[in-house]
Amino acid sequence: MPAETHALLSIDQHLALTQTLYREARLLDEERYADWLELLADDVHYRMPLTARRFRADRSAALAEGPGYVFDDDKGRLGLRVQRLESGLVWAEDPRNRVRRIVSNVEIYRAETDGEATVHSVIEVHRSRIDAQQRRLTAGRTDLWRLEGGSWRLVQRLIQFDHPVVIDSNLNVFF
Amino acid sequence: MTDYAGLVSAAGAMQRRQMYADPAVYEQELERIFGRCWLFLVHESQIPQPGDFFRTFMGEDDVLVVRQKDRSIKAFLNTCTHRGNRLCRADRGNAKAFACNYHGWAFGADGALVNVPLEKDAYFSEIDKSRFGLVEVEQVASYKGLVFGCFDRGAPSLADYLGDMKWYLDVWLDALPGGSVLLGEAQKVEIPTNWKLPVENVCGDGYHLGWAHAGAMKAVQSMDFSGFTVGNASVDLEGGLSIAGLNGHSLLATLDGVSGYSFYPDNGDIMRWLEANRPTVIERLGRVRGEKFWGSQLNFTIFPNLQFLPGLNWFRVYHPKGPGRIEQWTWAMAEQAMPEAIKQRILDNQLLTFGPAGLFDNDDGDNLAACTEQSRGWRTRQMDVYTNMAQGHSGRRPGLPGDIAVGVVSEHNQRYFYRRWQEHMAAADWRAVPQYNLNSLHAAEGLAHAG
Repeated sequence: MPAETHALLSIDQHLALTQTLYREARLLDEERYADWLELLADDVHYRMPLTARRFRADRSAALAEGPGYVFDDDKGRLGLRVQRLESGLVWAEDPRNRVRRIVSNVEIYRAETDGEATVHSVIEVHRSRIDAQQRRLTAGRTDLWRLEGGSWRLVQRLIQFDHPVVIDSNLNVFF
Repeated sequence: MTDYAGLVSAAGAMQRRQMYADPAVYEQELERIFGRCWLFLVHESQIPQPGDFFRTFMGEDDVLVVRQKDRSIKAFLNTCTHRGNRLCRADRGNAKAFACNYHGWAFGADGALVNVPLEKDAYFSEIDKSRFGLVEVEQVASYKGLVFGCFDRGAPSLADYLGDMKWYLDVWLDALPGGSVLLGEAQKVEIPTNWKLPVENVCGDGYHLGWAHAGAMKAVQSMDFSGFTVGNASVDLEGGLSIAGLNGHSLLATLDGVSGYSFYPDNGDIMRWLEANRPTVIERLGRVRGEKFWGSQLNFTIFPNLQFLPGLNWFRVYHPKGPGRIEQWTWAMAEQAMPEAIKQRILDNQLLTFGPAGLFDNDDGDNLAACTEQSRGWRTRQMDVYTNMAQGHSGRRPGLPGDIAVGVVSEHNQRYFYRRWQEHMAAADWRAVPQYNLNSLHAAEGLAHAG
């Protein structure tokens, strides 16, 4: 992620980017994956690291080799995930699960490069699955968005997942 | 008294659904399976330095595994001996001592109680600290990097427990100098399933691949799934084997020496590495294992709850959390001798396919959960489920230990898993648990000739 500034965008750009975040959430809720992919820059890097609960005083950096991640995707891999979801053969999503994404605590700052913005947000993903099953997943996000042809596109997303144990039997969802 | 062992019949080919949901059955499992068997704790590579610790579970018992000053490994119940509080709240790390949050009792890495606050003022220096050390897991032992613990002093040694499965295990654990390694952080997922169902899904169920994972297979066309077609329309299983009859442990194996890595896109670098190292493996393990097994897709099951798949390269343990719930812990696995670039590819591919958001993993959870849920109803729990596919179609193969069925779609391995479960549930202690390593001597002799 680029170094953080606290310079604000113009109010028009700020508004447009905020609206883009909400629109992105709705596109995903509505399973409009092709439209969602359009919001992503061609060089997008979308990742969610794996973490372990460690003591604050613990200085033993890496006990195992490399920390790993839940998502570490470029546009091609995100496309693979979408192809799977749109194959009509993912039985766990049929009938469809109802999903609502709530995006909040949005902070938007100018990035170091002109036409780019750093965006902090919190996302809450509510999944309503079979029978009475409800799942609520939360994460913090740090994004880099870029103005391309008058529209904001997602270039980087670092997702800090709040659950040391994933409390659902699948993560067929984007954050 | 409930006849728990009677929940399996016809040599493992039929199970009463009650065994997936009944709390009384589960209680008996905690005692007779998780309280009795050798359970995987940690890979030695995860706690390399003295003071390195790893928090895990044996059944529902919270356990702290700690590397000692002399580099040996001990395991303790993760509970303060004073008032029972959880002692360590971190997943892993390095620590000189563990102090309880509640009253500050502190224990050394060797489990000894080293500090009691107000020892002089409140205890009048009358407490015998040597009596209040952490409770040690009765037996801890390693097999080529894998560390296991056992609560039962009467259990056979780890080597005997693994039996002839060791001959197959060495295909991953001892193929090259340096052995094996686990990569990355633990990937932890909670699934509302009975613990036996994911084990059976992996130990023998090649049947579900083409159907349950149809969506993923369609998306990932570049991955060659060794003859499986999208939708299970047909399967070509030439050369695959289901191997069981080894103290409840089992193996699914293709025998081409390469198909384990056929799932990797652009796998030229891995194939070149395999072929460059194959002569060394043949020298160490002989031709059968070096040519046929090493590099193949292999599904290993160590009874009761450890599974790993060289090839797809995931390593997994299932911790039971009640009759209808588990925590599934997964790592990527590799051989230590692999170049860093290949290790990184393995971690990457494992997480893409079988991680918490894995393209294939995400097809399994709901099936396992629903098989559990549909065993709870008053009427459904009286029903049976079946693992009777290709029953009676197994036997000896010269040079290979075990009772072996052709193909990786057969339910042969599930039958031996349930048969082992039944043997443990029926036995009052280890003396009543039969040990069997079928075709053992033939295997050793056959290998000598084949090699």
